[in-house]
Amino acid sequence: MGASELRLRRPARARSVAPIRRALRAFLEALAFDGSALDDITTAAGEALANAAEHAYAHETTRRNRDVELRARFDRGELSVEVSDGGSFIERSPLPGRGFGLRIIRAIACQIQIETSRGTCVRMLFPGPLRKVDARHQY
Amino acid sequence: MNESKTIATIRLAGELEISRKREMRDALALSESARAVLLDLSDVTYADSTALTELLRFCAAAQGADTPIAILIAAPQFLRLVQYAGLATAFRIFQDRGDALHYLSECAGM
Repeated sequence: MGASELRLRRPARARSVAPIRRALRAFLEALAFDGSALDDITTAAGEALANAAEHAYAHETTRRNRDVELRARFDRGELSVEVSDGGSFIERSPLPGRGFGLRIIRAIACQIQIETSRGTCVRMLFPGPLRKVDARHQY
Repeated sequence: MNESKTIATIRLAGELEISRKREMRDALALSESARAVLLDLSDVTYADSTALTELLRFCAAAQGADTPIAILIAAPQFLRLVQYAGLATAFRIFQDRGDALHYLSECAGM
C-alpha cells in the first residue's frame, strides 16, 4: 500500500478550523482509524489549527499570506500531521487559564516538532491504526 | 437557560470550538436567582481548548459568587480533552444527570 496524503489550505480564520478538522477525520476514517485514536488525532490537529487561526496573524499589519495549511501523510504505518501558517508562534498565552492547546497536543502525539523559522509549522506524529486480527488466523 | 426551583440549567450542544467562542461566552452567564447551575453539555459532540477556557472562566465567576456548578459531559472525546489539559480536578464533571442534580442539591442545601 502506497502513501496517502491530504493537503488543505484555507484562510487562517476561526470558521476554517471545523471544516479542515472534519476533512481530516474523513481521511483518517478511510485509513481505518477509529475509536479514541480517531478522536484524539482530530483533537490534536484541531488545537494546532485553532492556535493558527487565533494567533498566527494577530499582530500582522501587512497583506501577505494569511492562510493555514494542513498536510496529513500516512506512510509505512505512521501518520504525520503538519499545520503550518505564515505568522508568529505563541508558545504560551500570557493570560491565566489559556494556552492549553500545546499541552493537549503533547498529551496525544507520539512526537511534536515546532519550526518557527518561516512562519510556524507544528508537526505531529502518530502511530497507525491497529489492524484487526482476522478470525480465521486465531487458534 | 431554564430554571427549575433554584437550580438553573444551561445547555450547549454540537461542536464547542473556536468559531463558537462568543456564543459560549454569552451563554455561560450566571443568573442572580440561581443557587446552583447544571451545565448540561451531554449533547456536545466535540470540544476544544477554547471551550475549556470558557468553562474555566465561568467556573471562576461561579466560585466568586459561591454558586456550585455541575457539568454534565457524555462525549468520550470531551472527557479525554479535560484529562489531557490537566483539568480533571478543576471541574465537577458528571456523566449521570441524577448524580449531578443530587450533588447540586446537597451543595445548595436544598
